[in-house]
Amino acid sequence: MEAIINDYISRELVQDPALLPLSDDTSLLDSGILDSLSLLQLVVFLEERFQITVGDADLLPQNFASVQTICAYLRTREPAARATAHG
Amino acid sequence: MAHVLHGLLARAAARHPQRPAVWSQGGELTYTELDQISNKLARALLRMGVAPGDRVGILAPKSAAAAVAVYGALKAGACYVPLDPKAPATRISYVVQDADINVVIADEDRTSQVTDLADRGPSQLGRLTVTTCPAESPALSAESAQPLDGERAIETDLAYMLYTSGSTGTPKGVMISHRNSLTFVDWSAAAAGLRCEDRICSPAPLHFDLSVFDVFATCRAGACLTVIPDRTTTFPVSIAQWLEKEQVSIWYSVPSVLTLLACFGGLSTFDLSRLRTVIFAGEVFPPKYLARLMTELPGPRYLNWYGPTETNVCTAFEVVPGHADRGPVPIGTACANTEVFAVTSEGGLVTHPGDEGELHVRGPSLMRGYWKRPDQTREVLVPNPLMPDRDELVYRTGDLVTVDATGNYVYLGRRDAMVKIRGYRVELGEVEAALYRHPSIAEAAVLPIPDELLGSRLNAVVSLAGTPGLTREDVIDHCRRWLPSYMVPDVVEFRAALPRTSTGKVDRVALATERMRKLADTH
Repeated sequence: MEAIINDYISRELVQDPALLPLSDDTSLLDSGILDSLSLLQLVVFLEERFQITVGDADLLPQNFASVQTICAYLRTREPAARATAHG
Repeated sequence: MAHVLHGLLARAAARHPQRPAVWSQGGELTYTELDQISNKLARALLRMGVAPGDRVGILAPKSAAAAVAVYGALKAGACYVPLDPKAPATRISYVVQDADINVVIADEDRTSQVTDLADRGPSQLGRLTVTTCPAESPALSAESAQPLDGERAIETDLAYMLYTSGSTGTPKGVMISHRNSLTFVDWSAAAAGLRCEDRICSPAPLHFDLSVFDVFATCRAGACLTVIPDRTTTFPVSIAQWLEKEQVSIWYSVPSVLTLLACFGGLSTFDLSRLRTVIFAGEVFPPKYLARLMTELPGPRYLNWYGPTETNVCTAFEVVPGHADRGPVPIGTACANTEVFAVTSEGGLVTHPGDEGELHVRGPSLMRGYWKRPDQTREVLVPNPLMPDRDELVYRTGDLVTVDATGNYVYLGRRDAMVKIRGYRVELGEVEAALYRHPSIAEAAVLPIPDELLGSRLNAVVSLAGTPGLTREDVIDHCRRWLPSYMVPDVVEFRAALPRTSTGKVDRVALATERMRKLADTH
């Protein structure tokens, strides 16, 4: 999961080539990789790739701070995503 | 009445000495402090040889330090030029050289960026660092905080230059005088009903003309400029949380931020009762999202402001509940001390619904011109087409409008190849010029793809010289070295050759038609 997300962010969202290769604990916020629109782009990708729904209330800095925190968040989401169609 | 922008600060410091002038993470300044520290900064600039009319760069996000830099530069009689800290180094360096900037004021986090700028020239770039807590800046410690002797600017002098996308391939500097800016500042403070108790917030960076409102109209009212941290604006829920916590009363931004807030902000869970006015400008607000925002957040007044950087805001419209449910919101009628009119292609005046013409603006808010570009200035600052005998210049906006039954102007579109992305102006020609810098790109055209949230996205169509092998990633990486992120194309298409018109120009119409057909097929 880390590799898939890291690859997507590196390919689609990183603006500054100096930030590559991206490590899983790099801050996506302090580095400026995520802004309001790239965040939504990432959410659309996560929802399609992992078949989950990310609720508005989950769009928080602590969940999207790094590749690691995104994966940790997704792992908490997965069972719920399977249980209900709309999380 | 203040005649110069920094006169607003002198007045606020006299009337509201202990009120907060600016609040940002790590730095808060009262009006007395902002006044005194900017006196110190002005003295430091004079000591570095800055003379009236000189351009001084400011490389910092909006902050207490940036406010000190703005007022310090103005008090020294200089014209400040905001440099976008997020732009590629090549572009910042271009602005520094184009504007003949000899001194750059930066905050402490941008020391290495300034060193890089100095390495790229000019050879003698003066540097001045203001720390996050401006009172503790070592560079200012030896200077006197007393007011400077005498005034170094009059109202027709340049106060700042804002660089905006240029159709010929490089950004151009819009020259704004103190009078140009004050015309907007005086009107906007009254139109938004600003009071000294207000906490005013706009996420627009200093190089974007929306910032003129929260930097100067706030000061005119003796209110508090409240700086939202960049990382907070990333998350719609965080924005709502922050608005509640900081008790923001006036918000000013491009519509896309508000769309995100309406759709993903969880607005009903926060107490935003202090927010009494929401202002948006810079692009068209898709009516369905505006309607949603006004339903989710029914308390505030909603104001739609319109105006290019060259005129600042020149029309305004107050949106009443229910209006956005019925379709697009007008750009409204002229601001105080400003006149707008629209001229049809036959040279007549737009007076009735159904008429269509180009919006023109007259009044003291019009820019002085484009820096060192007299030809481009003459294309937009033109004799009044309706009254050629009148000895005055009016501004041609390039925006096509009509008028509705109540006399409000309604925006229809552009007459040229400029598009808006997240409220930023993008000249397609400038993106094409960046593509042509790549040695393997033989031909390039850039087409806008309409996008509900962003305004537009960009589709680059290129053909290659010599051996193929260039990938989409290569092209995008190349663009990122020359262009700010909002100007980088999303889609890259490779062609053996681009279609040409009979005069040998790239046939944009053919490309656009093809693109529309493709879109129609996939939907």
